[in-house]
Amino acid sequence: MSGRTIKLAAIGALMAGTLVAQTHKELHFNVGARAVVSVNNPYGSISVKPSAGNTVSVSAVLSSDKVEIDSNQTGNRVDIQSHLLPGANEQSGHVDYEILVPADASVSLHSTTGPLRAERLHGDMTLEGSAAIVDVRDITDAHVHVKTLNGPVTLTNVIEGHVEVDSLSGAITLNRVTGPLVQVISTSGGINYTGDFGDGGEYRLTSHSGDIEATVPEYTSADVSARSVKGEVHDDIPLQPKQHTSFIVKEGSAFVGTMGRAAVSSTVVLRSFSGKIHLRKRTAK
Amino acid sequence: MNCVELQKSLAEIEDGSASEQQAHLKSCPECSALVAELNRITSAAIELRAADEPSPRVWNSIEIALRQEGLIHAPLVGRSLIPSFGSRWAWTRWAVPAAAVLLITVGVYVHQRSLPVQVARNAAQPAVSAAVSGLETTGLNDDDLLQEISQQTPALRAQYEDNLRRANQYIEDAQSDVAANPNDEEAHRSLLAAYQQKAMLFELALDRSLP
Repeated sequence: MSGRTIKLAAIGALMAGTLVAQTHKELHFNVGARAVVSVNNPYGSISVKPSAGNTVSVSAVLSSDKVEIDSNQTGNRVDIQSHLLPGANEQSGHVDYEILVPADASVSLHSTTGPLRAERLHGDMTLEGSAAIVDVRDITDAHVHVKTLNGPVTLTNVIEGHVEVDSLSGAITLNRVTGPLVQVISTSGGINYTGDFGDGGEYRLTSHSGDIEATVPEYTSADVSARSVKGEVHDDIPLQPKQHTSFIVKEGSAFVGTMGRAAVSSTVVLRSFSGKIHLRKRTAK
Repeated sequence: MNCVELQKSLAEIEDGSASEQQAHLKSCPECSALVAELNRITSAAIELRAADEPSPRVWNSIEIALRQEGLIHAPLVGRSLIPSFGSRWAWTRWAVPAAAVLLITVGVYVHQRSLPVQVARNAAQPAVSAAVSGLETTGLNDDDLLQEISQQTPALRAQYEDNLRRANQYIEDAQSDVAANPNDEEAHRSLLAAYQQKAMLFELALDRSLP
């Protein structure tokens, strides 16, 4: 038998082994309005989308028999847990979930590796994962809480949200995220906001050493305060200066002022210690 | 009044006693549970400040709140998700989330109140003190945490060590900034944020899904 044949046979055996070991599991739960769905999956992805009716449908692909799915329904609450059996590791304990929930359900997703994804929902949501990539989009009227260690976080089209994102070192990107409260805290990750800061909301973007960049359209109305203790601060947009500030406004390291119509403006606070802060005007395409 | 409006209104009337709040709470079990939980946490926080050693009732309240939130579950037989801490670490399972809950609670309170600078500063100072106290009373020790991670998941040690170093630097810089700008409300908020970041690091490290 030639070396090439042996190699092909080995690859075939490996693939067959993988195919045999992988299993698919479907679960369905009937729930009422405002159900609560919690998923804890140490290794693997969780994707949540809206279902047509009052059902929670779980489709899971398990990578091996070293992991099981435990599920429990108590009234309107559904708990899903990937249960690692002895000897399981990141590969053999891997499970990928595709979950459909009623659009008004509250969801809590947890995975160390991720990725975590939620879209087109309007129930409150919590997404947590150390290294998980987090992607949240098309969410309305909901609390969105995200925590990661170094996983990057992207929020897109989150309208009227109560948004809190905390990441130690993951990059955080917010595209068209508005609401009464948008708070982002990072230790070393960069924060990038693109949008108009809504009407009358409170926006706090804070990073210790990460850069903060906010790109806003010309019509934006906001009271803006930006300060970097050791980094540079740049402002491409003319602001009406404020008379009173709680800190000394030093050229190049801080600016405070109002853009647009103050009557409907949001409060925007950009704060860093050693990162750069840049408030940019979005250029028309 | 819907859920979002109710939760916003809690910044003004925290115990949910206003008539509009009551009307919504009667029809919404989630918000009702939230208000009850906030009241419990507030009570627990007061007791934490008052005593050197929190009573078991405080930990029980926090445990119940965390269970209701789905943040913790009863241990499963044969489950290997939680690191097998010895007795030295057993208490931190509650102490760390407790610190995190305390930090989040004071953070929410400080955050939601739009107060003049002096009042905010007065509010933020005890909040930060409480946060510091929360971390100190739990006896959280960076070396212990790293040692535990080394034993359980050596591959993650470098990652946690790096983030821990950055979080500590954040706290140090935030403290310096508060000292230099004692009237800056945002400096106080940043210090609180720095402590929150470190609390989150511990929370994630000791989380139930840490392999």
